Amino acid sequence: MNHVLFVALKMLLQRKRQTVVSILGVSMGVSAFIVMSSLMLGFQNYFIQQVIDLEPHIKVKPRVEEKEREPYTLLLGEKPEEKDRILGWQDMVKYIERNPEVLGVAPRLVSRGILKHGVRDKPITLLGIDPKREPKASIVEKFLVHKNLQRLETNRTGVIVGVLVGKSLGVDQPGKKLLLVAPNGRTLLVTVEDLFESGITNIDDARVYINIKTLQSLLERQGEVNEIIIKIRDVNRAEKLSRAFQSFIPYQVESWQRAYRNFLSIFKIQNTITYMIVFAILTVSAFGIFNIIMMTVLEKKKDIAILMAMGFNRGDILLIFMMEGFVIGVMGALIGSLAGFALQEYLESIKLDVEGLIRTRGFVLERTPLLYIYALFFSLFFALLASFYPSYRASRLNPVDIFRSQ
Amino acid sequence: MKVIELRGIRKSIGQEEILKGIDLSVQVGEFLAIVGASGSGKSSLLYIMGLLDKPTEGEVFFEGERVDFSEEKRLSELRNKKIGFVFQFHYLLPEFTLLENVMLPAIKLGMKKDEAEERAYELLNSLGLGGKERRRIYQISGGEMQRVAIARALINSPSAILADEPTGNLDSKNSQRVMEIFKEINRRGTTIVMVTHELELAEQAQRLVEIKDGAVLSDRAIQRA
Repeated sequence: MNHVLFVALKMLLQRKRQTVVSILGVSMGVSAFIVMSSLMLGFQNYFIQQVIDLEPHIKVKPRVEEKEREPYTLLLGEKPEEKDRILGWQDMVKYIERNPEVLGVAPRLVSRGILKHGVRDKPITLLGIDPKREPKASIVEKFLVHKNLQRLETNRTGVIVGVLVGKSLGVDQPGKKLLLVAPNGRTLLVTVEDLFESGITNIDDARVYINIKTLQSLLERQGEVNEIIIKIRDVNRAEKLSRAFQSFIPYQVESWQRAYRNFLSIFKIQNTITYMIVFAILTVSAFGIFNIIMMTVLEKKKDIAILMAMGFNRGDILLIFMMEGFVIGVMGALIGSLAGFALQEYLESIKLDVEGLIRTRGFVLERTPLLYIYALFFSLFFALLASFYPSYRASRLNPVDIFRSQ
Repeated sequence: MKVIELRGIRKSIGQEEILKGIDLSVQVGEFLAIVGASGSGKSSLLYIMGLLDKPTEGEVFFEGERVDFSEEKRLSELRNKKIGFVFQFHYLLPEFTLLENVMLPAIKLGMKKDEAEERAYELLNSLGLGGKERRRIYQISGGEMQRVAIARALINSPSAILADEPTGNLDSKNSQRVMEIFKEINRRGTTIVMVTHELELAEQAQRLVEIKDGAVLSDRAIQRA
């Protein structure tokens, strides 16, 4: 093997400029892969983690039921009657709690409403929760600015508002009085007990937590719930478990994956696009490697012939040129990884307010060594793939034909 | 004892038969010169003797072992250990220093780098190239290049050196110097087979084989006064 490495390195070093260009090509692909994957996965994982923490892993909610419609209702477009409640929810909660995979279950009453503060008003989603049960089924407390969840128990007219809801109403501290308007027209003067910030814009901009009993009373729906939320041990089993629950629950059982399937599909498309870009960069660099090795083979025909005459076999010749590809791949991966690391450091140091689907201060990066391992694997794969054909061509040369042609 | 033995060797390239049933054997320690006009088939014969090319028909024996041309690894091994080649064009690798060029077959053989380097130094010194070991090929003359090629052929102490027109590119002074080196190597026991079209040089060998149109025209020992 020494002789192979000895010759391969010498040949590479002789073509310094082309070798450097090839290595830079691979480095660009590798660093692009690391940085883009890190950004993309960072964003996606952050989003998913927040969703998993804040949202129920599995949710039971009423099915939209349509009564048989008369022709005139079809013509006038009357809305189907929705049975927005879960009957027998107490037994259902007890039954679900018995499952060993379940960590906690909590009932909710969800409704629409409007919050008013002075001249400002804001349409909101009202979540009536049981402050004792809720922490077992979601870790909403993690996102509360002042950790005052239990205030909803002691102060029945207390509310917890999303930071963006608060911002719209000019509320940034607990203690403010707001007017809550229910869909049935009834109003209630409520006090802000806390604010919550999940980082997910559409949640922070709409959600308001209130004691379930207060909401039931406001909506004149005593004892009713229209959502049961379930927290489980392994979030990845949510879809399977939801299907298992569905077999005995006569309501709609929805896993977090199903609830957020649109986002997850977008992430898949996003991943595909990113990896296609990286694939294109690595393909271009692979052509660079192919080019340099093919040129070396064509120019070094008589050197290959003399190596064969002095006892190098076809396998040695194949390995010499494959080794050149391997060295370019390893060097490219090494430099690319360093550049990727430096770029990650730089991006992390930028304290930029990112506002979109999620809101963060600075970029959220996924910094796992796995990305570097994948990058090394991909760069080596492409480098070896690109060097195989020219190497094979070199190994099949007939030394006698070359000597005769001189 | 025979180093190389050829029995009924025929070689065709396309429709043309370039070797027409050659029987030839080379004894250990012999200095054999093969002469012939251009296109007579002498180089083709040398490539077959050096196990670089396979005959269309016939058998080759190397140190008594019948050569199987389908076993490429074994052929490479024999070329590395037992045969040293010197060509008309030196075929030195430009990326390497003179020392590294000479070391290459030894490193392929599995010799340690230090050991190979020491042996290469010795050989280059003995061929009058001491002090130039770290130079590149473009920094030395044609005669010196050919001496480096001879050192490279000698590094694994082969049983035979096969030289294809080794003086074809040299002036008369350098040609004679190469011949003196060959004679000296031969005196130390290495078999030499040299292909040339220069009769004057060929007559410095011990035996002369003349090839014409792919067949042996004459095979005679050279008597010296």
